[in-house]
Amino acid sequence: MLVKLKDVYKIYGEGMESEVRALDGVSLEIDRGEFVAVVGQSGSGKSTMMNVLGCLDIPTRGDYLLDGTDVRELTDKELSHIRNKQIGFIFQQYNLIQNLNVLENVELPLIYQGIGADDRRDMAMEALERVGLSDRVRHKPTEMSGGQQQRVAIARAIATHPPIIMADEPTGALDSHTGHEVLGFLQRLNKEGSTVILITHDNGIAATARRVVRLADGRITEDQAQEVDWL
Amino acid sequence: MNIRQAIKMAVKSILGSKGRSMLTMLGIIIGIASVMTIVSTINGMNEQNLKQMEAMGTNRIDVSAYLYNGQNAFEALYNYCNSLGSDLVLGVTPNSNASATVVYGSKSSTAMQKNQENMWSMDGSQQNQGNVALPPNLYYGSDQYSVCNNFTLAGGRDLSAIDIKNYAQVCILGARAAQNFFNYADPVGQTMQINGLPFTVVGVYAEKDPNSNWSMDNVIVFPYSVSRLIQPGTTMNDFTVKAASAEAAVEATSRISGFLTGLTNNGKSGNGYANSNNQWQNSVNEQATMMSLVLGGIAAISLLVGGIGIMNIMLVTVTERTREIGIRRAIGAERSSIVTQFLIEAAMLCGIGGLIGMALGTVATRVAGKLLVHVDIWPSPAITVGAFLLSVLLGVVFGIYPAAKASKLQPVEALRAE
Repeated sequence: MLVKLKDVYKIYGEGMESEVRALDGVSLEIDRGEFVAVVGQSGSGKSTMMNVLGCLDIPTRGDYLLDGTDVRELTDKELSHIRNKQIGFIFQQYNLIQNLNVLENVELPLIYQGIGADDRRDMAMEALERVGLSDRVRHKPTEMSGGQQQRVAIARAIATHPPIIMADEPTGALDSHTGHEVLGFLQRLNKEGSTVILITHDNGIAATARRVVRLADGRITEDQAQEVDWL
Repeated sequence: MNIRQAIKMAVKSILGSKGRSMLTMLGIIIGIASVMTIVSTINGMNEQNLKQMEAMGTNRIDVSAYLYNGQNAFEALYNYCNSLGSDLVLGVTPNSNASATVVYGSKSSTAMQKNQENMWSMDGSQQNQGNVALPPNLYYGSDQYSVCNNFTLAGGRDLSAIDIKNYAQVCILGARAAQNFFNYADPVGQTMQINGLPFTVVGVYAEKDPNSNWSMDNVIVFPYSVSRLIQPGTTMNDFTVKAASAEAAVEATSRISGFLTGLTNNGKSGNGYANSNNQWQNSVNEQATMMSLVLGGIAAISLLVGGIGIMNIMLVTVTERTREIGIRRAIGAERSSIVTQFLIEAAMLCGIGGLIGMALGTVATRVAGKLLVHVDIWPSPAITVGAFLLSVLLGVVFGIYPAAKASKLQPVEALRAE
């Protein structure tokens, strides 16, 4: 089992009257190679779920085993390494660094891995080729369209060849055509063996996933596999 | 992530936001430049003072002796001082100004007097900054005048005891006086008119105070005995004694005081005193040290304010770049990587600012030296290197707090920032 959440709670302001249970006893298992869509309205806890799964945040209670390792026992440094090597993030707002060019942005996770300049460049270029942007590596993010920026973000996420791709509303800021393109990339990555976790509020997008997990008020209300027709 | 990577990243970040970088550096530039300028200018000024004091002569004892019967006390003092021996006293000379018209060819002290009057306009401001010839200061001296006043001969011969004994109509010129009257021709052997009397120039002193119009070199020295020819009825009451050392000055002062007591019959037939000028020089030195401390303190405060400015900007930068820090943390940057990045950025900003400040400080020091003290001052290498190291140190010290603050953010909180 790649990902295993057991009775996970994330509670803000615990014990106070205004306490918020963003995750209210969630248990979930995700296997290697799955394509899972986590769907829910805003405030359902899906973003918190993504933060916990992505080791960006630590659950208040409950166990999170990532590839057999108990995440709650890891130091900040070890968590950084897991984010760096195991997980590739794709965000709604792309989250590229504005004063770095495309190549430098894609190289960034490789720099934090300590990979030498030549190898780093090759790996970053390979990732950019896969998203079809190898001819625009010297551009700054602000000089590109939203779709292109999201492809840069995908290149950054896959440059380290992580086993897990986590996408938080990756199509949220894009028109439907470029949105479909981005979804296509995710499906291709899944076909090539990556585990993809897609967070979305859009049922239409969720419909393209092999497995749909529905969240409401911090609890899982539905978890079912479905037949999808990928190109 | 290694240091080379961190440095590259810092360079990119600094170049990526030039406006912010300039603002950060401004504080350090002004701080470093002002510290350098103030410290260097004070140092130059002190050196100048010291040189001037040295030129004037250290270990001088001012002696005044006045006898009611109108006799000249100098000969007795001269003989007494010379009997003290060269381990106590090196020389003794009258220290009296003469007043006379000096003429050589078309040059005259009367015309030079006009120059001096024209230097000042009616409102008291100085008009002519250039090198004009000012009237020479005339002195009556003994054969030991040059020893007492730290003059060395550049040409010809010094006054001799025989000149004094024989009322010889000779004189020695200071370097500036020689230049004013003879331009660059050799004055030795020439005859000048002093109050209409012919005086032969027998020697020229070497230049010892090249800096101002009111130079110590603008002097003409006569044997004191000829005062009766130039200004009949003059008596010599003020004298200068040159002691062999600071310790000798103390001893000689007390001995001469004793001698004066005897000479004036314990004040009944005259009065007299002897004072060493070492004390005065010490107090001048002390004042200079005080001034360095006070102004150096002010400069240090300006540097501190510059440093606090850096800290502020770094804090604002961190707040502004919280999202960037979040992104970096999300894709795997460790806390230490973030700290390193911000530290290097701060140190580099301060280093670059320090270099610019050093250049500016050098220019400002040169200008201040020329305008304020009229001396060629270069900032000392020690001050320059010190200021640079200090600026980098400030960057590191003031970079630590914001960098530590930035690294403590949870990635998810940092990502939420707009």
